[in-house]
Amino acid sequence: MGLGLLASRALRSSRIFTSPNPRNAIVRTIVSTPELHNPEAAAAAQAQPDPPPTDLPGRTSVGGARVHFPNPEDAIEVFVDGYPVKIPKGMTVLQACEVAGVDIPRFCYHSRLSIAGNCRMCLVEVEKSPKPVASCAMPALPGMKIKTDTPVAKKAREGVMEFLLMNHPLDCPICDQGGECDLQDQSMAFGSDRGRFTEMKRSVVDKNLGPLVKTVMTRCIQCTRCVRFATEVAGVQDLGMLGRGSGEEIGTYVERLMTSELSGNVIDICPVGALTSKPFAFKARNWELKGTESIDVTDAVGSNIRIDSRGPEVMRILPRLNEDINEEWISDKTRFCYDGLKRQRLNDPMIRGADGRFKTVSWRDALAVVAEVAHQVKPEEIVGIAGQLSDAESMMVLKDFLNKMGSNNVWSEGNGMHPNADLRSGHLLNSTMSGLEKADIFLLVGTQPRVEAAMVNARIRKTVRATQAKVGYIGPATDFNYDHQHLGTGPQTLIEIAEGRHSFCSALLNAKNPAIIVGAGIFERNDKDAIFSAVETIAKHGKIIRRDWNGLNVLLLNAAQAAALDLGLVPESGKSIESAKFLYLMGADDVNLEKLPSDAFVVYQGHHGDRNVYRANVIFPAAAFSEKEGTYENTEGRAQQTLPAVPTVGDSRDDWKIIRALSEVAGIWLPYDTLSAVRSRIRTVAPNLLHMDETEPATFSALLKPEFCQKMSLTPFGAAVENFYMTDSITRASKIMAQCSALLSKK
Amino acid sequence: MSFTLRSVKVPPNSVSLQEARSRTFDFFRSACRSIPSVMEIYNLHDVATPSQLRSTIASEIRKNAHITNPKVIDMLLFKAMEELNNIVEHAKQRHHIIGQYVIGRGGLVQDLGTKDQGISNFLKNFYDSNYF
Ligand code: SF4
Ligand code: FES
Repeated sequence: MGLGLLASRALRSSRIFTSPNPRNAIVRTIVSTPELHNPEAAAAAQAQPDPPPTDLPGRTSVGGARVHFPNPEDAIEVFVDGYPVKIPKGMTVLQACEVAGVDIPRFCYHSRLSIAGNCRMCLVEVEKSPKPVASCAMPALPGMKIKTDTPVAKKAREGVMEFLLMNHPLDCPICDQGGECDLQDQSMAFGSDRGRFTEMKRSVVDKNLGPLVKTVMTRCIQCTRCVRFATEVAGVQDLGMLGRGSGEEIGTYVERLMTSELSGNVIDICPVGALTSKPFAFKARNWELKGTESIDVTDAVGSNIRIDSRGPEVMRILPRLNEDINEEWISDKTRFCYDGLKRQRLNDPMIRGADGRFKTVSWRDALAVVAEVAHQVKPEEIVGIAGQLSDAESMMVLKDFLNKMGSNNVWSEGNGMHPNADLRSGHLLNSTMSGLEKADIFLLVGTQPRVEAAMVNARIRKTVRATQAKVGYIGPATDFNYDHQHLGTGPQTLIEIAEGRHSFCSALLNAKNPAIIVGAGIFERNDKDAIFSAVETIAKHGKIIRRDWNGLNVLLLNAAQAAALDLGLVPESGKSIESAKFLYLMGADDVNLEKLPSDAFVVYQGHHGDRNVYRANVIFPAAAFSEKEGTYENTEGRAQQTLPAVPTVGDSRDDWKIIRALSEVAGIWLPYDTLSAVRSRIRTVAPNLLHMDETEPATFSALLKPEFCQKMSLTPFGAAVENFYMTDSITRASKIMAQCSALLSKK
Repeated sequence: MSFTLRSVKVPPNSVSLQEARSRTFDFFRSACRSIPSVMEIYNLHDVATPSQLRSTIASEIRKNAHITNPKVIDMLLFKAMEELNNIVEHAKQRHHIIGQYVIGRGGLVQDLGTKDQGISNFLKNFYDSNYF
């Protein structure tokens, strides 16, 4: 603060306090709500008709929350506004109020973060305590009489609001948080109707947090939620609190970006508009958006998301609460990939002409050409590959179409050429994501969960933080945001552990709930069966698969993988690409087509003009996940559904409809006309895909598998995901993701 | 010839279905009478014949054949009269007339060829749009 400013402040405030006009002075001290003028007296007046706390109807808790009593003896009873509630010991006053159905205003408290207790918005009155107490930080004690609605509490809130608004800019009309801002809402509910501050508001320099998070630091109310999120959940020590008093600021200590795959979540937890989404800045107001509850498909986790759209455009993607999968976070890829849905889209059926250029044609002509070619090749030469983002319905129809054509060469990319689809336990995250929290030791084999499945990584980190679980890792050197032991880089270490020669073995044997997580990158290795049998040997020795605990997990990479294996999309021969004459790519961009014969006819059905479109002869435009209803099975075997949020682009069609239409033109007529007809076909193959939102545990464990004696090669494990931000056709088309990965590579 | 066809003041409501019916016929007749001048104004001789236009008018009227409430019929007649006036007064342009009454709702490209015969409803709908 400059000396001049200091002087002028002093002058001004002295002018106010020594105001010569006494009437003016009275006006300045008006408290907005007159009855709060003397809170103690008012409280006393109110205390008289206190209703007796007997025979009161039960109240419903906030958001229908249920209390779980880990130990019934530990239940204590407190009184919230005269209503008795039973809560487990150790709950805070704020939680007790929530159980009683009273929502306490708060800024800094967040149920998934540690308690800071620095905003003071949650003040309530507790009988026999001399001052109002911050309910979020105060443990509830037996028999405590909590009053949330008294004049003292109201006045305390009003006072806190006034202090918070003292330095908060009056930005609401141009603030992106407007309409969903905690401060805005709570100042409407609890604030005073006028301010008493005439000084200048302080201003704070904005920080650069990278291409995802926009900062307007003047709006910050120093709740430190973002700092706690970064250190506790995201596991990066980048954000911090600098300075003291009115000079207090949130910032990165040195000029650097926030490098976390979860950084976008600070946008959601910031109660004000200090941290907002940079790509969404000034694009829309939240009340004009239509929310569609859907599923994320950029990785195999299947995070629950809400797609906010306006007209035909996806405006933003937000997380949806699902305790079993993503809690309330999502990864940056999930949150910001949506601008890829507007770029590089295929919108018309196209045929490559003699000059090598694509020509737009009608669906009629495109289907006729493909049907004709498909009949000219031998059935064995027909190959179909489903892409990473395919839904179960279209994979089912693709498989049926190819089978009817006489070919059985159909698989989903990422599953390798010899997938083992017989036992579901061989490709699922058997302990489930929430089950991972019970594990006390992790062995990660060839997987980098931080980039492969950020939400799984967040779970592991949560477990490691909570219980000091040990983590052992085999694979190429990589970044972890929790303590881990790098055991080795390749199968050599795995063999050592399997044979009991490694130092990690004893820890594994002593653990109660050991968890092994094998990366799906290993599916692509030729010695995958040998690696899996080594892992199973470890599992046998370590008693990892028991009746009450199945710790042998496979972490898949793509949204389509699990459903593809459940539906039996397994290639007949490992060399089918080399001999293919008719290749049907259903959004498959990551298969290597180098070995494809040059005279092969390639049909590309998909929503983005991505890698393999360059090799295609015919293009069928299809719908992206935000535009269709489709079933996806996540890596723990949970079937979930996407819902259409926006209309399809141009002349594109849903994937299953395209294949259904093609089958009719080709004269083999698949018998499904509606999505429910396709689903009843799925019911005969993999009924678990129709049990929405449920995990279907694998019935047979992997230990039933016959022994393999395949030679294991000693080439070290590779990284399955090279660039976290660009893994599929949508994210590769996204400009925001491109900026992120440019920063990532510069670092 | 502005506003020649419109009755000067809004006529009283039809008291019975019978009256509304005869008014409808009156309207049809006046519309048919204006066909030659409409064809002249909009130069429709090479795209339509008078009998085609007559049947278009008739089918537009028949579309509402199920309505029995005389008040609703009166309202529809009023709108029809308004439309006819607009047409006769040259308040529209040629493509409006062609789009609405000559080509109609079938669309510009009518696939009347034989290739769509024998295909399922699914495929027909598929060629039309993604939403069915
Ligand atoms: S930036 Fe937002 S989340 Fe972080 S301390 Fe400020 S108000 Fe709280
Ligand atoms: S919520 Fe209790 S002090 Fe902030």
